[in-house]
Amino acid sequence: MAAASADIKQNLWAFGTRQVVYAAIGAALYGVFSWATNFLALPAAGNISLRPAVAIPMFFGIAFGPVVGFFSGLVGNILGDFLSGWGFFWNWSLGNGIMGLIPGLMAAAVVSFRHQGTIIKAIVYVVVAVVAGMLFASLTSIPIDGIDMTTALVGYFWPAALSNIINGVILVPILMVAYDSVINRSGR
Amino acid sequence: MLVAWKYKFRNSFIDTFDPRARWIVSFLVLASVLNFWDFRFIIFFFALSMLQVKLTKLTWEETKRAWTFIIVLVVFIVGINAFVFGRGGPALLGDIEPHVFWERVILLPFGWSWTLNLTAEKTAFAITQIVRMLTVASLFFIIPWTMDPSLYGVTFGGMGLPYRFAFAMDLAFRFVPTLARDFQVTLDAQKARGFEIERLDGGVVATIRKVAPLLVPVVMNAIIAGEDIVNAMDLRCFGLKERTWIGKLTYQTRDYVLIAFGITLLVVSLVLNHVFGLGEFWVPQWLIDLAG
Repeated sequence: MAAASADIKQNLWAFGTRQVVYAAIGAALYGVFSWATNFLALPAAGNISLRPAVAIPMFFGIAFGPVVGFFSGLVGNILGDFLSGWGFFWNWSLGNGIMGLIPGLMAAAVVSFRHQGTIIKAIVYVVVAVVAGMLFASLTSIPIDGIDMTTALVGYFWPAALSNIINGVILVPILMVAYDSVINRSGR
Repeated sequence: MLVAWKYKFRNSFIDTFDPRARWIVSFLVLASVLNFWDFRFIIFFFALSMLQVKLTKLTWEETKRAWTFIIVLVVFIVGINAFVFGRGGPALLGDIEPHVFWERVILLPFGWSWTLNLTAEKTAFAITQIVRMLTVASLFFIIPWTMDPSLYGVTFGGMGLPYRFAFAMDLAFRFVPTLARDFQVTLDAQKARGFEIERLDGGVVATIRKVAPLLVPVVMNAIIAGEDIVNAMDLRCFGLKERTWIGKLTYQTRDYVLIAFGITLLVVSLVLNHVFGLGEFWVPQWLIDLAG
């Protein structure tokens, strides 16, 4: 797994065998967890549910690079919606992809996943990623759904962003610390 | 935990088309409908979208959850929002002289007041918006039930997506049952240790933190297992050259006809909207007359 970090440092945007596999795993995990945690759906939040699983594409972005993060978010959201029977909402899936891509931009700078500075940096990236991703999804709903800016921001963006930020800020650091232990123990 | 894809072969008219042609046409129709705010045009696209749903042979039992979700979202969130507050659309309602059905001034604290009214314009807008959203949603929501998940890789590969991305997509669909099983095993193991997932209470933050004992082992196990898959693929020289797919898709004449129909629809929509200026927001005269 140390090889993974070396790959990313060489080329942040690489998509080799390792990235193909982890992108697929990240997407499948996101899909399964989104589906499994659907019972946590928040009331009065429209089409947005409380999904702890959103931490997965963000974490995969940080661990394996922006392309893996993007793919995990995009395809994972599609899988989750497919499994749950919600249908297909391409702009929200793209928004989820952005949520995985932006934290991935710090992948090359990760020294240790347990390092306090790295974790704080990851939290900042997570917040920026959620804002960018959900803003994209909400704003693209304006021409598609014919809603206005207020509805897009208050009805769509705010509940989704708030929920995802809380999920990401809590769970991404936990996953990073756990991953650090896995790297240290694996000896690969 | 049993993971079941929604797809099954129904031998419907829609099943006879190449999935690539269906994706292309769905986006062409989406691009077409976005040109219009005139109910008379939108109803045509709505009929088209409903015809597609009908041709899939999907039953109400299969799709009632998705329909309920879409209808609740559209009618209650957007429809009523537009109906009561008149929000939405390309700043349409602000420029139009309102024809009021009903009006009430609600007095608020600190001397403020809020005028709530229903107008012919808001009514027309709400109905138009509801039908427009239903049209767009029903264009795509049928996909999980009507497209074979095992063909997603070859479908997107055939639409120009780079081979590795298409392969990753195919792989993701294949991993789902395995990871769902791992999820169930971990859930059972944690329950045996006293983890009470059914009691996910104590506020949002506490709820999320309590998911960690479930999330962390499943994710870490998947990552460790992934290392073996990477090695196996490297040993088989994955990525040295583009490989073929087990499933093969071939465009038939009907697929070309379908794509041509989609392109024609988009071109006509663009011409009607941008050349002839048709398709702008429309309020029926009878609705205006009704308001007096």
